[in-house]
Amino acid sequence: MKRLAIALGLMALAAILLLFLTRPSGLSSSDLPVHVQDVSNGELLFHAGGCASCHSSANTDSEPPVLGGGLAMETPFGTFRVPNISPDRGNGIGEWTTLDFVNAMNRGVSPDGRHYYPAFPYASYVRMNLTDLVDLKSYLDTLPVADNPNEAHELKFPWNIRAGIGLWKLVNLDAATVIAVPPENDQLLRGRYLVEGPGHCGECHTPRNLSGGLNIGRWLAGAPNPDGEGKVPNITPDEKGLADWSQGDIEYYLESGLTPDYDTVGGSMVKVQENMARLPEDDRAAIAAYLKAIPPLR
Amino acid sequence: MSRIIVSVILFSVFLTSNAIAGSDPIKARQHLMEDTRDAAKVVGGMLKGNQPFDADAAMAALNTWKKTATEAGDLFPEGSETGHDTEAKATVWTDRDGFNAEMEKFNVAVDAAIAANPDSLDALKAAAGPVFKSCKGCHEGYRVEKED
Repeated sequence: MKRLAIALGLMALAAILLLFLTRPSGLSSSDLPVHVQDVSNGELLFHAGGCASCHSSANTDSEPPVLGGGLAMETPFGTFRVPNISPDRGNGIGEWTTLDFVNAMNRGVSPDGRHYYPAFPYASYVRMNLTDLVDLKSYLDTLPVADNPNEAHELKFPWNIRAGIGLWKLVNLDAATVIAVPPENDQLLRGRYLVEGPGHCGECHTPRNLSGGLNIGRWLAGAPNPDGEGKVPNITPDEKGLADWSQGDIEYYLESGLTPDYDTVGGSMVKVQENMARLPEDDRAAIAAYLKAIPPLR
Repeated sequence: MSRIIVSVILFSVFLTSNAIAGSDPIKARQHLMEDTRDAAKVVGGMLKGNQPFDADAAMAALNTWKKTATEAGDLFPEGSETGHDTEAKATVWTDRDGFNAEMEKFNVAVDAAIAANPDSLDALKAAAGPVFKSCKGCHEGYRVEKED
């Protein structure tokens, strides 16, 4: 009896320790860089990240975008409801400080100190520069407000326990870059930054492990379609991927939505491509160069 | 009893052969789409810098698109929903108004491109952009997703 009590006590202690070790932790204001906000750079990152694709209010295609959220994302874990990130003070992120925003994007932590679910792809955004995040926030602040309230996620047990996300982060949240590129090659560095960070390409094009994190060993080698049927294609330079596509083909695809066969982009890639079309030409070229430089995987 | 079975079989054969006879529009629209794509290759090849700009070749491609815009709408009659590996989605028939609206966007974009009479690469780029966008728009809702 006494032993059982000790065992239970130790288990409780271990659980508390684990929760403590995986508690939501953010940056403090002294971590923020001294930086003059650059709204147009923020807009570029907004398109690179395709924020509007998920956060636009339902059935709106307006310009500038209204980011009221509301989209239902069906996943094996349950239904996620995309939140309002318009600058509305009550229901959006209008009251957020730059630090709040940086902690959400970089650490997956909300202003009230809770873990965000990684359906919000902060596991990619963790690779973004803090100055870029400051700029992105300054751009979001210029967008129209939407005052609709957020809807709650509908998740299955045990995924509805937010504290468990701390454990997920321990395993899967890593700011390290995925692919090594020559440090003197500015184009590849830029391409890597856009693909691995804001562009969060790996979130769909890389398969996931059992814990729901990305299987880095299969980087961009294609994955089951999170929307249901079919597959998200392999975009490594393998025969099963983009081996037949020249760098120019990839650039032109991102710009126009046309494949080298002059077929059109389809599925959930349509919105991604339309966002990529709004990037500067050099950035599309950098993405294409990176995709031709990563290891081919079958 | 067996007579009923035989007549049922004969009737299905009749229906099937009718369906095959009625599937010519599928072939016709597939050819039209191939021509459309070939024209896109000409324009896209110039925009990509693979071929030099050629105003006459570009205009010929635009006219090919105009032919598609004029003819394609009639090549999706009732009864041509399946066969010949058609990639037309059921929505072409269940949401004909939406389909027609997308085709009309294509038509408007092609007319504007022809009217612009592009005489430079930049002009061609500006003229072809909305056309390509309309291709994508229609394929998105009215063509089956391809596995590759």
